[in-house]
Amino acid sequence: MKLFARGCGLSQLPYTARAEDLSIRDRFDIEAHAASCPECAAALRDAHSVDAALRSAFGPLRERRAMLAPGRVRLALNSSRVERSTFVRVPRFFGRLAEVSVMVGVTLFVIGGSVEYPQAVVPQHARSVIQEYFLKQPPTDEINYFRWLRLNQPESPKVVSDPVRFPVGGRYDFDLVEPVRAPTASPR
Amino acid sequence: MKPVGRPQAGGDGRTDRDLVYAARDGVTEAFDALFYRYRDGIFRLGLAITRDPSAADEIVIDTFARAHRALARLEPDDSLRPWLYRVAVNLSYNRRPRKNVVLSSLDDAVDEALADEEGSPSNVAEQAELRRLVLGAVDELGPKHRLVVVLHYLNGLNLTEIAQVVDCPIGTVKSRLHYALRRLRTHLAAHPELGIEPSRPLLATGLRAPRPITAPVPLEDE
Repeated sequence: MKLFARGCGLSQLPYTARAEDLSIRDRFDIEAHAASCPECAAALRDAHSVDAALRSAFGPLRERRAMLAPGRVRLALNSSRVERSTFVRVPRFFGRLAEVSVMVGVTLFVIGGSVEYPQAVVPQHARSVIQEYFLKQPPTDEINYFRWLRLNQPESPKVVSDPVRFPVGGRYDFDLVEPVRAPTASPR
Repeated sequence: MKPVGRPQAGGDGRTDRDLVYAARDGVTEAFDALFYRYRDGIFRLGLAITRDPSAADEIVIDTFARAHRALARLEPDDSLRPWLYRVAVNLSYNRRPRKNVVLSSLDDAVDEALADEEGSPSNVAEQAELRRLVLGAVDELGPKHRLVVVLHYLNGLNLTEIAQVVDCPIGTVKSRLHYALRRLRTHLAAHPELGIEPSRPLLATGLRAPRPITAPVPLEDE
């Protein structure tokens, strides 16, 4: 069994006695104890030397003073108040909102967007509504007009004088409903 | 704990408690009096931790700005000084540079114009050298032990106030101060001009080794 020499249990006291607000009686007690305890006497002597060295070394630092006025504190308080005011925060909020909106839009465009114009899928059976309309108009020339009256059907689609002038075709120029062909007059 | 009813140093006869109550009521002069009372101490504490005078200035301003915001919820019956120093310590450690940055020595914070050593130039140089040795030894301490030493020897706080500042029991503060002073004693014993004797063996001091706790008991049969 290894045995260690245990020092005096009060040897910490001489080092910390100067930092404590000890009464005169307590200080006399420490010195009385140190008179009978060589370890505490050495600790008291060393603590005194270290304490004196530290007080001497920190002396010039204790002379340092700050060249500050309380107005600096008020200035800091006022600046922080202005920053927190609503009138300053609202434009900043909307600015951030615009930034975030643009960012979200660009991100969505990059993820799923395309620069190509969307092509309308027109079913094959769909017929042009405008073209149907013009086909139902009575022809202007006399012969074809009487024929149209008789058959209620134009003989030829050439009645459209200039199809380029009319807005035929386009994305919405079709009827999704399947046209029901009306019973036409059969030749008797 | 410092009695709250006692007037504090700083030229104003009013106590911290009176000034806090007056500052709560919007008396600007009361807050200014508190500022002038603790401005230098907080500046020195920030300077000792950050080693940067401009950072120490900012720490003073930030500390009192926080105190002004906390006036409504500040307990005037508690001692104001540890509260302010605690805020200053936290702000100082937040402003400290990162670990890989080499800090200047604590001795560099000493304004040479204020170091009023008297005597011959050789005496002044010797005092400066001793101060450099001691403050260099303080720099070698760990942060917790150095903070306790700085709070006591630079700012003059007692153990109770230091315990409030560092938020730990007073026994821990005692232990840290004891450890720090013993480390400093060992470190400074190599310089005989400081008057610190090198450590001696325990028996050389005249102290006898204690008796073993379990003494061998002779057996009856032997």
